[in-house]
Amino acid sequence: MSNKLKASLLFLLLFLLIPFTLVVNAAGNEIILYTPYTGLSVTPGEGINYDIDVINNSRLIQNLSFKVKDLPAGWDYNISSGGKSIEKLAIKSKDFKNENDKSLDLEVNVPLKIEKGNYHFTVIATTDDGQNFQLPLAVKIAEKGIFETEFTVEQNNMEGYSDSTFSYDTTLRNRTAEKQHYALKADAPQGWDVRFKEAGSYVTSVTIDSGESKTIDVKVEPAVNVKADNYAITVEANSGTTAKKINLEAVIKGKYGLDLTTPSGRLSQQIVAGKSKELNLKIKNTGTITLRDIKLSATTPSNWSVDFEKDKITKLEAGESTTVSATVKASDQAIAGDYQLSIKTNTPEATAAADFRITVKTSLIWGWVGILIILAVILVIFYFVKKYGRR
Amino acid sequence: MPGFSNSFLVMVDKEISDHVKSWKFIIVVALILLTTFGSLYSILNIIRENAALINKGDNFLFLKLFTATDGNLPNFMTLISFLGPILGIALGFDLVNSERNRGTISRILAQPIPRDYFITSKFTAAVIVILLLVFSVGFLVMGMGLLSIGLPPTLGEFLRICIFLFLSTIYIAFWLSLGILFSIIFEQAATSALASLAIWLFFTVFYSMIVNIVAQSLSKNPFQINHLTVILSRLSPNYLYDELTTILLTPSIRTLGGLSFQQLQGAIPSALSLDQSLLLVWPHFTALIAASLICFAVAYLLFMRREVRA
Repeated sequence: MSNKLKASLLFLLLFLLIPFTLVVNAAGNEIILYTPYTGLSVTPGEGINYDIDVINNSRLIQNLSFKVKDLPAGWDYNISSGGKSIEKLAIKSKDFKNENDKSLDLEVNVPLKIEKGNYHFTVIATTDDGQNFQLPLAVKIAEKGIFETEFTVEQNNMEGYSDSTFSYDTTLRNRTAEKQHYALKADAPQGWDVRFKEAGSYVTSVTIDSGESKTIDVKVEPAVNVKADNYAITVEANSGTTAKKINLEAVIKGKYGLDLTTPSGRLSQQIVAGKSKELNLKIKNTGTITLRDIKLSATTPSNWSVDFEKDKITKLEAGESTTVSATVKASDQAIAGDYQLSIKTNTPEATAAADFRITVKTSLIWGWVGILIILAVILVIFYFVKKYGRR
Repeated sequence: MPGFSNSFLVMVDKEISDHVKSWKFIIVVALILLTTFGSLYSILNIIRENAALINKGDNFLFLKLFTATDGNLPNFMTLISFLGPILGIALGFDLVNSERNRGTISRILAQPIPRDYFITSKFTAAVIVILLLVFSVGFLVMGMGLLSIGLPPTLGEFLRICIFLFLSTIYIAFWLSLGILFSIIFEQAATSALASLAIWLFFTVFYSMIVNIVAQSLSKNPFQINHLTVILSRLSPNYLYDELTTILLTPSIRTLGGLSFQQLQGAIPSALSLDQSLLLVWPHFTALIAASLICFAVAYLLFMRREVRA
């Protein structure tokens, strides 16, 4: 009996246990974690917000804690529900119809510096009695994420004259995870002036939040005596941890300029009618290109003449000046007072003119003749007095 | 010979007092003063009415006191050129013949003085009177102008006015010499006065007409006629004096008579400096001084060679 009884008892026990085992197995679906977005494609630095529904299919109220497993290094997450940061979440049982679910917000931050590829992680809900329920999620990073600064310029080559101001529109983007404080500096040829303008003011540094960008206007003023050429300017934004350089190019176009004056700057002279006078002229090349064959000419009142020491200057370097003397001869018919005399220098490229105001003085000779006549008359009277005065 | 120059001064002194006390002098001075005030009054009115247009130092405002006119009353410059000769003639026409007629000449010449003292002292005294009168009237005009417009003249303006007054004296002295010359030539004072006035009238009124007729008969070219007229006119002391004073008191005039286009081209309107203005009229200046001196020299020579003991 004992063996048979033992076997039947065991059988009975088995029968008793089967429903329990079924119950335990059925517990695998008691909690369901659900989100529609199980596979997402995002860019580096983006935050992903999952809206996860937690459904309780058991007949018991379930108190759950959540975590995220297998999250790649550098990623972080935050779980909240109904605007509250939660440690645990209790969900009503199946008996409460339509009230047996809760919504859960999972925020996952993808780092900026990341290789592109597919990343997987799992959300795990753990009941009080240690059962785990899983929700696997996949994220695809479509491009490579970087920890660096982006400094770009739309048009890095500009052309202008020596007195132009070059203005380059650049964009500085902070693609690091932190706020960055950038110092701005420029490496330009000697004498050049480079300044940075941000939001209407001149600045030497800018602060940019992570992922943000600012437009910086780089103003470049060439040196005063710059020659026609191509010039490179390097502009750098440096925050200490990250730095970026861009190269700008300024092309200075040659400019023709000519100036005519006298060494003293005085443009008035005195001359005696019929006589000549020497004028010193100072001719300056105010442009940035060598001028050749500078011709000199004069517009005079009629019957005046202007003879130049040389009619032509073969070559004048940029910024250089030379002196030419001119002999002005006034007409002997010129009346006393002011006359205008224009002297002009010109090359095919540039021209300069100076108007001289020449004050004509009449000759003193006739004045002396007049005085002599009066003296002669006085002498005659003295002669009469001597002869007929009967002293 | 001590005392000689002293006796000359005594004679000049006496002559001046004779002139100043004489009726003819008082009448001419009154005439000059009256017309001067009249012209000054009208000029000051013009200046006051056009005060907004006046830019100090730019347009020689002070000289305008002597040259501006409103058309009714002649300006000071014209006035002197017209009344000056009358003053000169009035002072000179009877200086010698009246003394001769009264017989005082032989009494004076009986004194121990050189014979030419008689004529030179008369001339000197009259010139001093004219000088004083012209400068007094001129400075009177300047003073009244200063009071009225409140702007001082510049140094250049002041010098121009002084030279103008000096030239006016010489111009009047020419007519004085002419008067003295006729008072030596003619025995009757009335004849001498008429002869002087005839010459004055001839130059003031008829001479320009004659010049016009002569110039037009000599040439048909208008430019040449103009040129001839100017040259012939300059033989008249009146014309010389007018041209001289006009240029002296109007610095913006740069030339005498006509201008050719060659001379005008490139010229900038500007005022002449005093020395340039003077140089421009220097021939006139010379001619006027020389004419006065020659006129005096002739009178002197005639007087010295004339037999006074009748």
